[in-house]
Amino acid sequence: MRLKQFGGMIIGLSVGAALMACGPNSNQPNPGTSAKNQFSKSVSGELKTYGFNPSDEVGKSRSDFANAQLKGVKVTMDTSSFDTQKFAAQAAAGQVPGLIYADRAQIDTLADKKLIMPLDQCYSLWGVKPTERFYPSVISDVTYQGHVYGIPEFFQAEAIIANTRVMKASGVSLDQLDTSKPDQLLSAAKKMTAMSGGKPTRLGFVPDMPGSAAIWLAVFGGRTVDQKGKPALDDPNNVKAVTWLKKLTDAQGGYAKDKSLLDSMDVFGAKNQYVKDQVGAQVWAQWYVNVLSDYKKDIDIAAVPIKTLDGKTLAMAGGAAYAIPAKSPNPSAACEWAIRVTSPEAWQKASEARQKTVEKDNAINTGLFTGSPVADKANRTQFVKSSGDSDFDQVINTYYQILPDNRPMGASAVGQSITDNLNNAVIVALSGGKSPQQALDDAQAAALRAWKQSNAGRNG
Amino acid sequence: MAITLRAGGRRVGRTRVRESYNKREVLAGYLFIAPWIVGFLIFTVISMSWSLGLSFTHFDLASNSATAAGLDNYKLIFDDPKVLTSLFNTFVYAIMAVPLELAFAMVLALLLNGMVRGSGVFRTIFYLPKMTPHVATASVFLLLLNGNVGAINQFLGFFGINGPQWLTDPHWVRPSIVMMTLWGAAGSMVILLAALQNVPRELYEASEVDGANRWQQFWRITLPMISPAVFFLVIVNTIAALQVFDQAYLLFYRDANGSAPDAALFFGVYLFQQAFQQFNFGLAAAMAWLLFVIILIITLIQMKIGNKLVFYGGGRND
Repeated sequence: MRLKQFGGMIIGLSVGAALMACGPNSNQPNPGTSAKNQFSKSVSGELKTYGFNPSDEVGKSRSDFANAQLKGVKVTMDTSSFDTQKFAAQAAAGQVPGLIYADRAQIDTLADKKLIMPLDQCYSLWGVKPTERFYPSVISDVTYQGHVYGIPEFFQAEAIIANTRVMKASGVSLDQLDTSKPDQLLSAAKKMTAMSGGKPTRLGFVPDMPGSAAIWLAVFGGRTVDQKGKPALDDPNNVKAVTWLKKLTDAQGGYAKDKSLLDSMDVFGAKNQYVKDQVGAQVWAQWYVNVLSDYKKDIDIAAVPIKTLDGKTLAMAGGAAYAIPAKSPNPSAACEWAIRVTSPEAWQKASEARQKTVEKDNAINTGLFTGSPVADKANRTQFVKSSGDSDFDQVINTYYQILPDNRPMGASAVGQSITDNLNNAVIVALSGGKSPQQALDDAQAAALRAWKQSNAGRNG
Repeated sequence: MAITLRAGGRRVGRTRVRESYNKREVLAGYLFIAPWIVGFLIFTVISMSWSLGLSFTHFDLASNSATAAGLDNYKLIFDDPKVLTSLFNTFVYAIMAVPLELAFAMVLALLLNGMVRGSGVFRTIFYLPKMTPHVATASVFLLLLNGNVGAINQFLGFFGINGPQWLTDPHWVRPSIVMMTLWGAAGSMVILLAALQNVPRELYEASEVDGANRWQQFWRITLPMISPAVFFLVIVNTIAALQVFDQAYLLFYRDANGSAPDAALFFGVYLFQQAFQQFNFGLAAAMAWLLFVIILIITLIQMKIGNKLVFYGGGRND
């Protein structure tokens, strides 16, 4: 009986496998893009968005503006965060939303798999030149094989936010927090670090690893990808970067202990690390200034740009982008909605709404860093005034000053794999499990394996 | 049905007797189990068959089409060192988690079995962690396991022990996931408790008369009598351990930047990344089938060994 049952199972599975291989959809040509413009200014019907959540006044004011512009289109929103697993299930079922809102790092992967459509014609239909409306680096991060696949928003670059109280007590000056002079920075970090019982109680300098790994590689002249998006994790300058970062973390107790302390910090609360003097300086994206502004009376801060070894200011940031699924049921409406929601007019509405909130809460307007130089300039000119707190004014101005030095994060068809492998390499190297060279070589090998399985990698 | 022929009290042979089946009863039986059969066919047999076919193809999600790939996906698996790393991590985790969970569940079940009053209350309390969603449990364990300020290390500190960095030291990553698994040991506890409560009391009474102590009673009576339940739990928990995903993903891959040490790369997590980050569904299907074959082999070995060790009371050979 057992043999019969086992045999029956094998036969059943084989029949199923044969059906799968010889299914009616085998070897059908990919939809691809046609020469005809898929987009039209005449819009109607329904549009479902997925991933965009208008949870604050900045999002709500813009989505309300876009909705109002699309007369005759019923817009519904799935406000849950974009999840590739859910999107894959939607794509397999043929029920993709009209428009998605995803991390920019995912755009090239989706484009490589032909799951989203190029938007060059969408931009041209509405008279928008991508590299004029948005920062060139931001457009570069949503460009795949010469075509733009996303309509981006937000560019909240990273800089160093220093705790001037700790610096003063440690005898460290702001000019010593200069990433173009790593040894000097290492020395400053050591002075500001405090230990108790073999565990750090204050970290002198937090480089935000592995989250900001790509930025630190750029500081040392390294890179994550080449111009085609092919992984380049074993670049010799990357090794230098990780080697220095190992020295930095070892000087402050070691990666494991540092991370434990960081995980225990009340990052968003009234007892955050700047209030409790648990850090001397830390790398943060611009949005964190907004968090700290709630506790301005309890903290003393200043900002310092991140620079490359040759002294040039570096502004890098991730962000989000709108993309239109290849099988979107309403690409024209999706195109118009995304163009409208990222337009200078929409950002003007958002700026006004943000200013109302700031005035109501008697808070500081730390600025909106939209990803568009046009919108950023308009917002700053009209609404970002002196706050009365010189510390915050200096910090806000620093984040604005670095914007012209924007650089791409580096887009790739295997972006997530590169990020995962780079982060793993950094953790392993900082933990002492492997040398930086070995860790990055292994990461490069793994990322290359993923690259060779991508369409971009297979086609050269 | 087989019956034993006896003459003069002695067994002289066996013969088969044809039973008359009531067709309506048979039909009713099949109708009752039809929902399960349909579900089994759709969600298990057809899905597994589809996955098997998928593993021999390059699947393009955009066009929902597949091109034959032969053994390419399987070759990719064996060429990828991360597959070996993830399998190693998974096996080490299973070797630690299965015996520990069984032992922990046994202790809880023995405690409950020995209680005269209040066992219901404690049974409920012990089972509550099993009902807690894994996401909530992971959030709690992130705090408990923090190397600097976590409650576990603070507790160890009372005894002068300098606790490890559970979530960042590669040597302690897998034990930390095992600890989170032990949190849900109540499922095994309930099964063991039922088995303990079915052990005939007279066996213990007879052993007391013979002068057996508590340990001898446990080793000679309790354990053999509950061995079928233990055997079942070893098999089921091994299968579950080899498929571990939730605990590892929630503790180490919760961030969008996916930063996790190599020691936290489990097979289930790597499979998930291949499917839903790289969209390599063919490769992911091949990995799933590799895991299936591994689990099948391990289960067959366990059954082979286990059948020799398990005591089936009640004449299983009749």
